[in-house]
Amino acid sequence: MATITINDKQLEVPDGITVLRAAQANGIDIPTLCDHPHLTPYGGCRLCLVEVEGARTLQPSCTLPVSNNMVIKTNTKKVLDARKFVLTLIFSERNHFCPYCQVSGGDCELQNSAYAEGMTHWPLSPNYQPYPMDASHPYIILENNRCILCRRCVRACGELIGNYTLGFEERGANSILVADTGIPLGESTCISCGACVQVCPTGALIDRWSAYRGKETQVDVTNTVCVGCSVGCNINVLTRNNSLVRIEGDWDGAVNEGVLCEVGRFEPMKVDCERIATPLIRKNGALKAATWDEALSAVADELKKASDSVAALISTRQPVEALYGFKKLFADKLGSSLVTTTEEGLFTSDAAVFAESGSKAFETDLKTLQNAGAVMVVDADLTGGHQVAGFFIKRKLAVGTNLLVLDKKENGLNKNAHKVLQPTKGVNADAIKALMAAVVKLGLAKGNTSVKAADLDSFASAAGLKTDDFLDAAYVLTSAEHPVIVYENGKELAVLQELAALVDGKLLSLKGEANSLAASQLHLDKALKVNGQKAAFFAIGDDEASQKAIQEFEKIPFKVVLSTYTSSLTGVADVVLPSTNWLEQDGHYINLEGKVQEAKKAIAPADETWTTVQALNGLADKMGIKLDDNWTKEIHNRVSVVEISK
Amino acid sequence: MAKPKVASDWLAGCAGCHMSLLDMDERIATVVSLVDLRSTPITDFKHPDESGVDVGILEGGVNNTANEEVAKMMRSRCKILVALGDCAVFGGVPAMRNFFTIEDSLKRAYVESESTDDSGKIPNDPELAVPTKVRALQDVVPVDVFIPGCPPSADAIFFAISELAQGRIPDLKGDTLAWH
Repeated sequence: MATITINDKQLEVPDGITVLRAAQANGIDIPTLCDHPHLTPYGGCRLCLVEVEGARTLQPSCTLPVSNNMVIKTNTKKVLDARKFVLTLIFSERNHFCPYCQVSGGDCELQNSAYAEGMTHWPLSPNYQPYPMDASHPYIILENNRCILCRRCVRACGELIGNYTLGFEERGANSILVADTGIPLGESTCISCGACVQVCPTGALIDRWSAYRGKETQVDVTNTVCVGCSVGCNINVLTRNNSLVRIEGDWDGAVNEGVLCEVGRFEPMKVDCERIATPLIRKNGALKAATWDEALSAVADELKKASDSVAALISTRQPVEALYGFKKLFADKLGSSLVTTTEEGLFTSDAAVFAESGSKAFETDLKTLQNAGAVMVVDADLTGGHQVAGFFIKRKLAVGTNLLVLDKKENGLNKNAHKVLQPTKGVNADAIKALMAAVVKLGLAKGNTSVKAADLDSFASAAGLKTDDFLDAAYVLTSAEHPVIVYENGKELAVLQELAALVDGKLLSLKGEANSLAASQLHLDKALKVNGQKAAFFAIGDDEASQKAIQEFEKIPFKVVLSTYTSSLTGVADVVLPSTNWLEQDGHYINLEGKVQEAKKAIAPADETWTTVQALNGLADKMGIKLDDNWTKEIHNRVSVVEISK
Repeated sequence: MAKPKVASDWLAGCAGCHMSLLDMDERIATVVSLVDLRSTPITDFKHPDESGVDVGILEGGVNNTANEEVAKMMRSRCKILVALGDCAVFGGVPAMRNFFTIEDSLKRAYVESESTDDSGKIPNDPELAVPTKVRALQDVVPVDVFIPGCPPSADAIFFAISELAQGRIPDLKGDTLAWH
């Protein structure tokens, strides 16, 4: 600990932190524009200048580490004058006219800073030099005229996402923010995660969708969970008058710490499917509007007639409450012959069986992934889905984490990897065994294996790769303590676990959609194979059904669809029930690391749209069945691949 | 003490700041009771007294030679000059054209605008004021008080005028300080 004095107040602060952080931790306000708590200090804007006893000049508090007995003043005339002067220079540089800027009026950190210093005008008038503006990106406008060169976006793009798309060209007043080598942002390596927009203190990076739709003071904020995939990012949903304005990553969120991917931040804005307004019943070949009572009665009658010859399908984007009610009604009460999810346990069932056979959870969490010195990715393409998990890997590559990719397909992470194993034949197990042999051969084994060094040649040729490839890969994988192996499904789990034991590594699987793990815990992971069922209930919600699911569904004589949007499924259904989308319902989600998270309703649904739970309960009532909601107990009944939080 | 004399005028602006002044509703009666309102663009007298006024208020930026004249006349005839609104304080919306040449701006307005037919031409009558770069008032004449806002709220204007009427220089902060 160091003893420092800020504004005559003596403080005990941890060694090595900056003066700015020490002040912030003790409720002392120092204005800043380039600093961001999730980014490395940069010292670019000079707004945080403070007076330090014994120092020749004012010091930027954001980059100045504390030292014992340091005496700091943050509110002397010299400091206040310097702040105003810094702001004066920033305002004189580019186009900071507020009346035509979308962040003006509360959302602009630059404007707020000027207000805080009581600036009624700019002592220096701007020089009116125009800078380039880039509107080539589908979601983001890059407006250099509003830029204050704080480089938060550049740091976010590199340090948080590991994408390094944004950078600066030229020097001094001519500095401009560019994508890659100065090409339009829309044609660049940008992956549309939007982190740059979220950290921009001014209107230099604008989210096209939410611009002018409501300032932060005018919106309601709901802290909830993204259901785009099983990572389960913590998000803030901004709404105004019950409409979606913007989605932001929650900086305090334990899972993602503020970052999001395109799927979480921008894709929900694009949804323009047609909503289903009321229940529909097919009469004389055409779907006709009906009441919920009529529709549920019709469904109940048909389900009773069909007895156990029912196929019930549900989306893994649904909350646990819905999955549980669905399982209770169809599997436990009605004894339906096929009860599963649209995902059919593709990414969970093998691993679940493996966990059951070992009777214990064996997987690690996302934190371990972030702290791993070496990561091996097997088949999982973290640039297509589960992108935030990919960011956790990519952001660490610059600080020494090694990445090994094993994938027969072209993997999006290949260009980031230190070594790529792309087998040309055989199964992944061959390549994994060759890798184990290489580890043994190099004398880097930390555990036991049945694979011998002498087997390297034969396994390598089975995979169609050179032995040297595996020796290189073995070095990459064993370059750090406790490597993490990320895999897509559990087909080769036995060998994978042997490999993990051999290199003292940890395993983590992606599991698929937002609630695939919960579905797996409820045994909703059977293969989807229709076998003469007479009736079908398909709770697709706001998810998209696969072609296979649609084809199987079409084989069934009486079809019920619970859906948010009109689709080819509702086109063939006999009864259509309108359901809420993910933002219109409460519920719980279990992410890929077993965290049980609560999703909260951000938008009030229309009267005639029901949640899946409401619809299931309504249907159960019609059939004289009572459903309970004791899902927590059942979730923990099955041994899980990863420890599930209580 | 005699009531302080106040005059106002507008330059390159939209008159919105004067509208915001009227937006103070019945408080305008208080203002009239506190000050001797002389010339304004919305009353009969158009020029400040030759003998001078205590407070001169100008709305709008300076975008041509005519504005320059008005600004200089007001400055020479008032003790305290107030820049009212974002255009007078910063240059405001009209200053957008500073990012282009004057020739291009005139061409866009008089020749290329969507409502202009083939006969469009840039006015060049020698009696017309000559357009210049749009400047904040302080770049043409010294300014004593700045009331930013687009427009400044009626509350900010009422606060500023009542302070000035009572012989104080207004210190805008908190809710009354808003550039836009």
